[in-house]
Formats: sequence, structure tokens, C-alpha cells
Amino acid sequence: MKTYKDIVGDGGSDMVGQITEQAGRVQQRMATVKHIVAIMSGKGGVGKSSLTVNLAAAMADRGMQVGILDADINGASVARMTGAGGHQMAGGETGIKPATGHHGVKVMSIDLWLDEAGSPVVWDAPTQKDAFTWRGMVEAATLREFISDTEWGELDYLFIDLPPGTDKLPNMVDLLPQLSGTVIVTIPSAVSQFVVGKSIRMATELLQTPVIGLVENMSAYVCEKCGKEEALFPSGHVAKLAETHQVPYLGKIPFDPRIAMAADNARAFVTEHKETPAAKALLNLAERIGDFVS
Amino acid sequence: MKFLCIECDEAMKLTETRGPDEGSMTVIFGCPSCGRDIAMLTNAMETQMVRALDVKIGGSSVPAEPMAMVKNTLRDQRDNAPMAQAMPAGKPKSGGSKCPFTGMITEAEEAKQSGMQWTEEAEQRLENIPPMVRMMVRKSIEQQAEEKGYTVIDAAVMDEVKGKIGMMYGG
Repeated sequence: MKTYKDIVGDGGSDMVGQITEQAGRVQQRMATVKHIVAIMSGKGGVGKSSLTVNLAAAMADRGMQVGILDADINGASVARMTGAGGHQMAGGETGIKPATGHHGVKVMSIDLWLDEAGSPVVWDAPTQKDAFTWRGMVEAATLREFISDTEWGELDYLFIDLPPGTDKLPNMVDLLPQLSGTVIVTIPSAVSQFVVGKSIRMATELLQTPVIGLVENMSAYVCEKCGKEEALFPSGHVAKLAETHQVPYLGKIPFDPRIAMAADNARAFVTEHKETPAAKALLNLAERIGDFVS
Repeated sequence: MKFLCIECDEAMKLTETRGPDEGSMTVIFGCPSCGRDIAMLTNAMETQMVRALDVKIGGSSVPAEPMAMVKNTLRDQRDNAPMAQAMPAGKPKSGGSKCPFTGMITEAEEAKQSGMQWTEEAEQRLENIPPMVRMMVRKSIEQQAEEKGYTVIDAAVMDEVKGKIGMMYGG
């Protein structure tokens, strides 16, 4: 009796062919994007999205063409932070034109599709019962479409803002094996470093994808008036974590409440407060990324 | 997944898909040698898993519409969610030897989106709307009509709700 391998094709559906075609569309779209940089952590609440938006603004400020893919389907914030949320996307000849945020940054996010800014993401299905079995697949397909069906055009950088979870980078690498590099973000807390350590191992040992380095966000609070630096977390040792995992340490970004205020008002902190320690650190990080990919 | 006719030791070919009926699809395979048919019956969860893969049982004969997954699956979409201008000529219709599984589910669900009854004239007017926005317009009309307490949509109801829907259709 014939076995699976003895039968050529699948009876008429050509599932493999369809999946291959989907992957081909991704590659075709990314052909005009020079560098794809993922911003990840594994841990939530470490400032990935703020960092992504400010890095995009810093690059755009240097005259680069920049896009952001908000890969956080269930916690999307990039459209709001860049001021792209109210934009009306339009159908183009070969896909959907992305919304445009501050500094001309092109944005694709699930938020741009929802009828209300505060709507949660719910997928239509014959039944919502046992939705956990397929929800991840729908989200993966959505990200694939965001990459392949958005008219990104010519970009110097496409930043991907990944949601928390150590599984998110592998999913993205499956879609985009040509990822230029990953910036891994942590805060100095021991718990954050514990989780982020797993993400670094996922990136380096399992995926062997290029890691630009580890950045220490919210490292300290710098007094606006006197410039004195106060630690926000008791632990630290982020540079040591980078050393342990043999990835570059990209430095500290001090906490500045104006980063959050700028995001709330859809403005770019990094270009509006260039002389602050946090903005200087962000600009330096943008430079390190530029050096890495060039 | 492949199906084998044990008696003939022959790979079976997809011949037809039916449904969905309460989320269940019927996918029929036939043996090219002896003609025996078998049916694969999916439960709602399995139906949705195939849909989530964004592939079509029976194969796809036209290029995929941009953002098809998001457009067909995301609930609570903006009314003015973008449509591509130069999309392929609509979704393939169900039936025939190449049955687009995903398309079939969507179309069947569209048809039973509500308990609204459409008159022949109203359906005809809807047919004049480009396929890429037809589903959205249908939903909008049904929603508006339901709010006004109608159970049957005819040309007069369409005219009445047209103002709220804007310039989506001109009929």
C-alpha cells in the first residue's frame, strides 16, 4: 500500500505551493527594503515600542526612508505613538498603502484596521470556542500579510516592534529569514534580565540570527534640573548579561518622562529633545544599528 | 493531508466541497480508478484552522487579494478599511472542481450574516457593486436596516439607508 511519500501532490489543493507562494510574496515585497531590524525583549513593559518609534524617528531625521511594522497584534501602540492612527490607508496597485506617522515614517498596524481605537482584536470564526487552537495561526497570517501586502516602497529601514514572548522572534525569522539584526531590550530589574536572557539564547543559540546587541532601557532617572542620576532599579548588571551571552552591550537609556509624554502626543522625543541624556543615548543607539547593518 | 483508496492503492482527488453548516465543511474526495467517494467532515475548530492558514482547499486559481486574511477575518473593522484598487477579479466562486475553501466559507457566512431577507431587485442592485466592496456594503445595509426595524431589504430600504452609507454604491 502506498504511503504519504509515494503520493505526489495532495489531491488538488497544492497546499505546499500555496504556502510557497505566500512566502514568495513576502520576499518580493522585502526586495526594496535594505535593512530589517527587529526590536524585541521577551519581557513586556520594557519600552520596546517607545524605543522603536524613537529609533525610526532618529533614522528618518537623518534622511532615511523608514517603516515600522507593529507586530504586536494584541497590544498595538505604534500607530498611536506616531500619529498614524487617524490616517486613512488606501488601496494601491499592488497592495495597501501604509499610514504615515511623524517624520514620514510608514506604519502598518492592526490598529489601523479597527473601527474604534479602543477595540480589542477579535477574529470572526464559526465559533469562538477553543479559539486558542487557531488564534496564533491567524495572527501569524496577519503579520505575513502586513509584510507582503503593504506597499512599503523603497525603505532604508523597516523596524519590527515585536510583542513580549520568547516565541515571537522565531515566528518572525520564519517569515523573514533575511532579518538584518535584532535589538534586545531589557530594564535593569533582575526579573526582566531573567526573561530577556531566554530571548537572547533563543536568538543566538537556536535561531542563530544576527543580534545587534542588548540595550538597557530605563537605566536611571536623570534630574531635569540638576542632571543628577538616580538608579530606578536595585540590580543592574545588564552589561554582564550581554557579556555572558556574548552579545554586544549597546548601552543605557535613562528614563525620561518626556519620552512617554511625547508618545502620548504622537511626537518624537528623540528629535525634539536632542540635548537630553536619553535622546543622546537613543541617537547613539541608532548609530550603532547603522554601523551594524552597513 | 492525502487520501488513499486502499482497494485501488490510488491517491484520491478532491471533487467537491460543501458547507459550511454550523462551521462544519464537507470535503469530498473520489478515487479516479474505481470512482468511490469519501467525505472528510470538519468540525468548526478544524474549519477555522484551515481558514487561519489562509490556504484554499482545492487550490487557488487567482492571485490572493491583498490583506485577504485581515479583511475576511477581523471583526469590528473600520467601515472605510482600505481596498486595493487593482485587485484580481474578485474571489473565486465556490463549486466546480477547484473549490476555494476559504472563499467558500466567507461567501456562505456572508449569505447568512443576518436573518435579513433580500428582494430580487435589491440583490440585483447589490450585484452592480464591485465585488471587492460588496460584502462591506451588504453588511452596512443590513445593519442600518436592522436598526430601523426592517426584516426585508428592498430597493426602497436601500435608498433610505444610502445616505448613511455614503457613496459606496450609487444604485
